[in-house]
Order: sequence, then structure tokens, then C-alpha cells
Amino acid sequence: MSGKLNRRDFLKALGLGGTATLAGCDMPTTVTLEEGKEDVVSYLLPEEYVIPGVGVTYASTCTQCNAGCGVHGRVREGRVLKVEGHPDSPINAGKTCQMGQALVQAHYNPDRIKSPMVREGGSLVPATWEKAQALLDEKLGSKANLAAGRVAWLTGTVSGHQRALITNHLESVGSNHHFAVEVVNTNVWSAVSRDMLDDPQPQISLDKAKLILSFGADFMGTWQSPVHFAGQFSRMRTAADRGALIQVESKMSMTGGSADLWVAIRPGTEGILALGLANYLIANGVSSASLPGDARDKLAAYDMQKVSNATGVSTATIERIGKALKNRAPSVVLAGAAVEGQVNGYEAVSAIMLLNVMLGNIGQTILPSGKFPLQQLEAKVGGTRDLAAFAQAAAQKQFDVVLVHGANPVFTAPASLKLDEALASVPFKVVMTQFPDETAMMADLVLPVSSTLEDWGTHVAAYQAGASNISIQQPLMEPLYDQTRGFGDIVISMLAMRNAAQYGSFKDYYGYLRNVFANLKGAGATASLSPDEFWNNSLQAGMIKIDSTPRKHTVKASIAAIDAPAADANFPLTLIPSARMGLFDGRHANLPWLQESPDQIAKVVWGSWAEIHPSTASKMGITHGDVIRIESEAGGIEARAYLTNTVHADAIAVPLGQGHTEYGRYAKGRGVNPLKIVKAAVDAKTGELALFATRVKVSKTNKNEIILRLGHSDTQHGRRLVRTVSVDALKRTKGA
Amino acid sequence: MSLKNVMENWSAYRKDAEAGGHHTYEHRWAMSINLDLCIGCNACSTACYAENNLAVVGPERFAKGQAMHWMRIERYWDVEDKEYPDQGASFLPMMCQQCGAATCEPVCPVAATYHTPDGLNAQVYNRCIGSRYCSNNCPFRVRYFNFYSYYESAWPEPMHLQLNPDLSVRDKGVMEKCTFCVQRIRVAKDKAKIENRKVKDGEFTTACAQACPTSAIVFGDTMDPESKVSMLWKQHQVTRAVYKQHKEDPELRGYRIFEELNVDPSVMYLERVRDTTV
Repeated sequence: MSGKLNRRDFLKALGLGGTATLAGCDMPTTVTLEEGKEDVVSYLLPEEYVIPGVGVTYASTCTQCNAGCGVHGRVREGRVLKVEGHPDSPINAGKTCQMGQALVQAHYNPDRIKSPMVREGGSLVPATWEKAQALLDEKLGSKANLAAGRVAWLTGTVSGHQRALITNHLESVGSNHHFAVEVVNTNVWSAVSRDMLDDPQPQISLDKAKLILSFGADFMGTWQSPVHFAGQFSRMRTAADRGALIQVESKMSMTGGSADLWVAIRPGTEGILALGLANYLIANGVSSASLPGDARDKLAAYDMQKVSNATGVSTATIERIGKALKNRAPSVVLAGAAVEGQVNGYEAVSAIMLLNVMLGNIGQTILPSGKFPLQQLEAKVGGTRDLAAFAQAAAQKQFDVVLVHGANPVFTAPASLKLDEALASVPFKVVMTQFPDETAMMADLVLPVSSTLEDWGTHVAAYQAGASNISIQQPLMEPLYDQTRGFGDIVISMLAMRNAAQYGSFKDYYGYLRNVFANLKGAGATASLSPDEFWNNSLQAGMIKIDSTPRKHTVKASIAAIDAPAADANFPLTLIPSARMGLFDGRHANLPWLQESPDQIAKVVWGSWAEIHPSTASKMGITHGDVIRIESEAGGIEARAYLTNTVHADAIAVPLGQGHTEYGRYAKGRGVNPLKIVKAAVDAKTGELALFATRVKVSKTNKNEIILRLGHSDTQHGRRLVRTVSVDALKRTKGA
Repeated sequence: MSLKNVMENWSAYRKDAEAGGHHTYEHRWAMSINLDLCIGCNACSTACYAENNLAVVGPERFAKGQAMHWMRIERYWDVEDKEYPDQGASFLPMMCQQCGAATCEPVCPVAATYHTPDGLNAQVYNRCIGSRYCSNNCPFRVRYFNFYSYYESAWPEPMHLQLNPDLSVRDKGVMEKCTFCVQRIRVAKDKAKIENRKVKDGEFTTACAQACPTSAIVFGDTMDPESKVSMLWKQHQVTRAVYKQHKEDPELRGYRIFEELNVDPSVMYLERVRDTTV
């Protein structure tokens, strides 16, 4: 690296490579944190904006999932008390989910790591930052003897300037290995959208739809941007002509609970039903002009009876869905994790997207997204392909140093990937985390990072709802512990070790971001603002609107044959490792509010359970609460049987979230992790793991335990607490 | 209230404030919950934990029925004999209904639970002696008793820093329940008073309504005829102080749970809709 900087290098360092113009910033109404002055003053003289007993609201961004919802934090006497939705956020419009509400519990969690830890003689011991820094310098500094490509970053989905810094850091150490891992993702959907529409994250407009046909997409719980879609769903339901939801899945998701028609389908056969519906639609007068020439012939093989036999959905129901699709335009057809997580997930999602093409939904309810102009800041979207790729590369001893942040791969990786063994073989593992999770416990160096509510950040959500935005995360209070550091601060310091000319001048991440914002300011309504004004306005708004170039959807439909998963007499059931709003992929198992908050459908708290259909259970003599052993080729787990008809008779569902062997007092040693027994099959096209394709067998143990749940009755005993009316009655009262 | 007074003014007592009854209410806080929009996501109940210093009791105490969820989402299945529940689930957000003729109030031996001029069932913690009569008399089962000093385990340091200083942390032996976020009501009323104006509809709301991703919950003052909640009650022809609604259009979806018990709940639910034509 040269000692001199030109402007292009400088902008690249700031993550601003590319071209962007700003849309007009709205004048915000809330207050920003005052600049970081460090005068020592008595508590008797509070800052002028601090009135004891009066809460002040600051804007920031939620990081509990990757949707990037805007939040308002209520701060009183220097501490954050509560988080609410940011009313002006185009993503969540003032609303929050339960995970967002629990953001404060991640911040005030009693199990946070309070100082760096270094591995000495086999165990992790507390250390000073000087020691940690020296160790980093030795392994990653300018004198470190790093061959090309020997450093890897392993993160969750990461975007904004955190991502830009990671990219720049990798470049500074001569590597390009950035693995982003998320077990809850929509990557196959994105791949299909990219190939069929030339748009990896098309905008979904549920509120314009008269009918949603969702193949297992839990769009209000875990899919892309749940709070945003819940808002759209609400508008669809309250429209003059109320839109309907048909949910087709093997295990009822939270979203499925709101369905007008809920259809249980044999696991892994959703794509077949989609092709069958396409065939039905063509036979019933829907034009196939938008489809490839051979579509009719290919689809003809999926006649009603054959599809019904394969999927277990009755011909009457198939016809019912087909009629609804034909008669209610525009509709929108979605595919969720259980469809994506098959060995032919790509083909199945393609078949589902094909319905959107045939029905003319493209351009109606599926709209082009904007192309975000600052590529360095775009979300690096995590998936399970990277999980497997990392395990493989690490096992082949490709890395000397691995840096982990925002991911807990030791917990989420199926045992068959042997990721823990591979990681153990990496000579130097740095984990930057708030909590003592499973991955941190394997590290050689643990760096305690600030919580979301203590740290700076910028975020660009992968699913950009409405306008393109950079969401801003700002500290809402002083750090709780003096030995934690901001993630950006740590990366800046590592960059400065390698490239003092470019990064040495930034005191910290805050200083870096101030520089970024001084350079972001420019065109449009913001041109006349001083850098300070622009900065303060951006913080107050919690986001910056970015002008993006609209994409155009060019439809390239294709049809591939889909086979049902092969039956296996030794492993008769399919395992559904379902994620849910709340504990999510297990990252929120350390938040007591979410542990004590029931599963939305099963109503179970504080533990694991296995959902099994009563007809399947009775064949095996299993009763409610029996501890059963669930075994795949990759291993076994034990969980209490929960008899319910919300799961298909050929499936057994074990929710994600529990089964932590570390991760603090609320999570550790509670329940089981179904991901551990997932067989490492992949979707052939995308390389994503087929998480929903593992076959299992079930056997009884001689134990029976109480399943802890909210409520003692599943029925209303005729009391009509929740009254249900038909949609006709609603129409007669004009939607009141 | 003398017996003579009751006999002479009986009809006035059985009329509500909006209908010119005798009450001298300042506000009448009420809700409308649209069950067609409730997706059962638990955002409201978690927001309630965050706002109201609700203790997490842990699995052992949860098993004994001691969970402190002031707001809970009940989930019912309507068709038991089918192979699969093809109409989804029935979700019911349930919390104190702030009854106008609350059955919890007259049984309290020490008047710890009483009716406020805002129409709320207030619970005076330092007056409560823990007889639990109120809880036994509540048809909605929405009163929660502190069998232990939950604060000893619920907020290990530094979690206690999250506690909302606008309301207390309850100790052993005290009954508690949903207050319609009375601390927010107080702040709004004080602010309005200082600014010499009336409380405006929508200037504040309860934690549950604020979080609700589908805006199923609407909170407001039914004494304010312009408020959103007033208009909803009117639109659905739901009136107070009756045990049976007499609607011009009986198909309107508004109803109150257990109003046949003559408890006059302040929460109107809108019936869940299912489109059986798809």
C-alpha cells in the first residue's frame, strides 16, 4: 500500500465505491445524542436535554433479525428502557415484533462477556485488551507472516459499513474468504427470482393481492421482513374486498394459523402441487403464452390424480386452490423454507414462481426492486451453503486465522458437517461476540463486543421495503461495561495494523462514520447542509434514503420435472426443523422474555418438543408427553411427543431454538437442537443445505414428561370466546 | 350510596356515562381488538413484559400456573374431528377487560381494587392483602398473584436497569393485572393539563397496541366521540352497560366477551373472519 491516498481509494475505504445520490431527507422530530464530548460534570448538572423523570427518544436500527426495522429507544436518566418501532420507517412503520421488543434483554443480559478472553493451557481465561490487541497484532498485524488467502471471516448476514470494513480487512490481509451463514434464509427463493426475473429480491405487495397462496412461507414470522409483511397483510385483510390466505405446508407455521384454508401436504412435495396447479390452470383457460413452448407437454404429466397421490392433498382441495387462483387476481404465490430446503428446492421454488408468471402477478404483486448503488454496502446475505463450504475449507486446513462475528456456526451446523472439528483445527480463532456461545467457547481469543444499543452501525437490509435506505444504528446509552468494544472499532483497529496510511487517522468507528457521512452528503436536498447538520439529521431520522436505479423484470420461465422424495421404510418420517418468530434459529434462546413467550401454535414454553400427528402416534403407541427418540442417519435426539394435527402424518416437527450446550443461564442445557441430526444433503442448484429433507425414525423410551404450555384447553367448549363469521357476512356489512 | 339513592336513581346507575348515566367519568378508556387481524405473534405480550416490569418466573413456576403474563394470546382449534385444522387457528389476546361493573371490585375486603374516574379497575398494591378473592371472581382469569418475591430472580444484574421507573415492581403477596398502561395515561393527562388542553386521541397508546404489527388493537377514550375507538364501537353498534347488544344490524362483528354476565367489559372484539369460498 502506498502512503498516499487518492480519492477513489479513499471512497473505497469508506465503503462508498459506486455512485449514489441522496433523496431528500425529511426533517425529523426526535433528538439526537449529543456529540461525544468528554467533559467531567456533576450529576447535579445534567445535560440540558436530560430532564430527570422524562424519557427522551432516539432513533436506531433493530438487529434481532436481518430485516433492519427502524426503532425508537426510550432513554431515561441515561439508560434504555424500551424499544418501539420507528413510525417513519418504510420497513416497519412504527411496529415491532416480539424479538424487537426483547432487544433490550440482549443488551442488559446478565451473561454478557465482560472482558477479552484468551486461551491458555486449554481453557479460556480473562485477559486485558492490551494482551488481546498484542495477540491480534502478532497474528494479523503488519509483521504477521500471512500467505495469501489464509484468513477467513465467518459472519451472519452483514451489510453497511460493517461489511465494507470486513471486505477491506480481508483485502488488507490478502484474502477474500468471507463466509456468511444463516440457517433461516430465503436464498433459494432469491436464486430463482434472479434467474427468472433478473431480480434477486423482488418486492412483494401482499396488500395489493386478493389471494396469497403460500407454500410454507412464514412471511409474518421468519420470512425476509416479517413486520413489514404483517403490515401488508393487515391492509390486505381490511381492504374493501378482503384478500384470502391459503397456506400449504407440512407443519403449521405462525402465518399458517391465520389461513382461510390451511392445507397439510406431504413433506417435500410442494413443487409437485405447484406444477399440478399450473396444469390445472392451463386446462381451465389460463393462458400459457408467458411460458416456454414445451410447457403444456411437460405439465401434462402432472394430472390431478397423480399430484394428489404424490402430495396427499385431495383432488377436491387441489381444484379448490386452482379455482381460487384463477378467479382472484391479482394473487401472489410464495415459497418458504420447507420448499427451499429440499434436494430439488430450486426446481420446486421455480415451479411456484411459474404460477406467478402464469397468473400475471409479475408487475402486479411482485414488483422490481431498486438496484442499490453502493455495492460495498449491500447485504452479504448468509446461507447454509457457506456453512458447508466453510466446514470443508477449514477441514482442509485452508486457514490460519478465522474471525467470527454475528454467527454461531458451532450451534447451527448439522453434526454431519463436522464443523466443530474443522474449526478446532484452525490455529487461531477470534470470536467477536456479546455472549459465551458455543462458537466462542472454541475460540483462541474472545473479544467482547458492544450490544446493539451501545454501538454504531449502518445497515442495508437485503429485502429493501419500498424505498432504498441505509438504516443507522447509534448508541442509545453509555456502554454497560468498560471492557467491551464496538465491532467497528475492533475492525478499524485491525485495519490500522495493516494499513496505517488509510485507517490510522480514524480514532474509532464513530470517526470513520463521520468521514463517511461527510462524503455521502452531496447531491439533492442535502447539498446545502453542513456536514454536522447532515449527520445530525441522519441520526434523527435513523435512516438515509438512497436513490436506486429501478430494475426491470424480464421473465425467463423454465419448467423442470419434480420427483417426490423417495420413500424409505427404515426412516418413515420427514424431520421438520422449523424456525419461529421468537427463539428464531436459536440466537434468542438466552432472552428470558422469549423463553417464557409461548410458541404461537403449540403454546409450549421453555423447552423442546416433537410435533407428531395423532394418527402416526397411535400407530406407534405414542401418547402426549412420551419421550421419544428421533433418529436419522446422522444421529439422534430425544424430545417429548406433542400430539397435534397441525403437522402432516408423514412428518415430525422439532422446533429450532433450544439445545444449547453453552450460551448463558437461560439457554444452556435446555431441550434439543434438531439441526444436529440433519443429513448434509444439498439443493443441487444453489448448494444450500436441504434442511427439510432428512428422514427419521421414531422410537419410544419409557419416559413420559409434562409439556409446559400456556392454557389448558385447546377448544372453546362452545363458549364462543373467539367468534368466527363467514366472509359473506363481512361483505354484507360492507367490511365493517 | 344509600339504599334510597340506589332505588331512586336505579336507571341512571345502569346507564353508562356516554348515555347520560350518573357517572362522573373523566375518560373512559377502551379497546377494540380485531380478531381477523390478530396473527398470534406475541408482540403485544412481550411489549407488555417490557413496559410493565413483568417478572419472568421460569419453567418450574410456570408449570404451577404462576406466569405473570398480563396479556396472553390464547389459541383455540374450532374443529376437533377433522384430520387437519383447515381453517387455521383462533387467536385471542386476553387481558383485563377493565369492566364497568367489575366482579373483582366488590369482593375485595380492603378496597385494593377499585374503579377510577377513568373507568379503569385500579389495583392499589400497597393496600392489597393478598386474599385473592378478586382473582377467584374474575371470569376472564386475568389477575396474577405474586406467590413469591419474583424480583429476587427475575432481573439478575444488570437486567434490573431495564425496569420501567414509571411503575413499581410488585412484591410477594400482591395481586396484579393489566392496567391499560396507566403510567402512560398519567403522563398524557399531566401533559395535557400543563398545556391546558384535552388529551388528544392517538397522542399515546398502550404498549400492546403500539407494538401490534397488524394494528389489530385500537386503544382510546370512548368519552371522546371523535376518537378512533369511539367510532369503532359506534360503527359496530356496541354499547356499554348492557348484557345483550341490540344491534340494528346483528351481523356487525363487534362483541364483548362474557357481557352476558353483566360485567360491562371495556374491550370490544371484532369477530374473526374465515373465507370459506376459497
